[in-house]
Amino acid sequence: MVPMVKKTRLNNLASKLLGGRIWVQAAFLLVWLDPLGLRWHTMCSPVFHCYACPLATFACPIGVIAQFSALHVFPFVAIGLLVAVGAVFGTLICGWVCPFGFLQDLVAKVPTPKFDLPKVAGHFRYVMLIGTVLAVPYFFGEGHPLFVCRICPAGALEAAVPNVVSQAIAGEQVVWPNAAKLIILGLFLLAIFFMRRPWCRLLCPLGAIFSLFNRVSAFFLRFDANECTQCERCHELCKYGIEPEKTPNDLSCIRCLECTKCSPQALTLRSIFERTETHHPSR
Amino acid sequence: MTSKDVVLAMTKKTKIIAFCVLVVLGTALLAYGVLFHSTNVLPQQGDESAAIAKSEPALIKEASVGGVTRDESGKIKQTYTGKAPAACPT
Repeated sequence: MVPMVKKTRLNNLASKLLGGRIWVQAAFLLVWLDPLGLRWHTMCSPVFHCYACPLATFACPIGVIAQFSALHVFPFVAIGLLVAVGAVFGTLICGWVCPFGFLQDLVAKVPTPKFDLPKVAGHFRYVMLIGTVLAVPYFFGEGHPLFVCRICPAGALEAAVPNVVSQAIAGEQVVWPNAAKLIILGLFLLAIFFMRRPWCRLLCPLGAIFSLFNRVSAFFLRFDANECTQCERCHELCKYGIEPEKTPNDLSCIRCLECTKCSPQALTLRSIFERTETHHPSR
Repeated sequence: MTSKDVVLAMTKKTKIIAFCVLVVLGTALLAYGVLFHSTNVLPQQGDESAAIAKSEPALIKEASVGGVTRDESGKIKQTYTGKAPAACPT
């Protein structure tokens, strides 16, 4: 008997887009890299992209939360945006939309040996969020060396490096970023060749926020035990050390949806609002 | 409808409620921040009477270039006079 495969429009769309995820990420650069020179820095984006970058359409939500924490002002806009976006998409933002994740995905295509991280290391993201984004700015202000923007590799790569280069080209006195930032940038650039998404998995405070929504977001991964043949192919497909059949909406998942490629389609992208149609694949 | 279907339906209902609450909460916070929330900001030089109320979007823009700081007395103060800095000093 041929098993019944549950198909939905969303599922079909996800299957079609999956092979071109990198192109979807590239297309989103047109939103984040400010090709029209809008510089809407009065509004936050839902992605990790430094507002000091010469090519930034919106303000970085993490930078804004940290700065507002230093000012002792509640960041209604940044928190409201992240709650609303997180409730809809969860970490789909990380896997499909974020430019800093895209950069790491591109470098991961370089054929170098890749090392895995212990899963528990992902919890360090919450330490980063509470420590460098909330507590350090609140108690010590934006001048503290552990203030998130002072150690952020995205800021170093997207803002400090272009500024240093433009100063050098213009023949002005070059203002170098602090040593800690340069060291962190160096370590990050080294790490992305030997680990998949080291920033996202180890330290990203924005990913930490979105991951909290994974279990309640409108889009989620569904595991159907009836379809599973226990071949464990999803373990091979997941590059982030998750066992998707056990925790399909794991906190560490970036929702790249690679695990949905498993042939019995035991794992599928679903939305809480859709109806499930069933069809027989043999027909 | 089997008992399993009932459990799944309840889970889905709970998820929809949680989703709706979060979206409404997020949208309300966002709307309040954009439309109503403002903070008094003192100029770099001058007394408290010269403070101006800045909307949250304007404060985000100021914060993104390091244009505001919290002084020892807890007041928010501009870090420049005249033209705003081009980029965040960090």
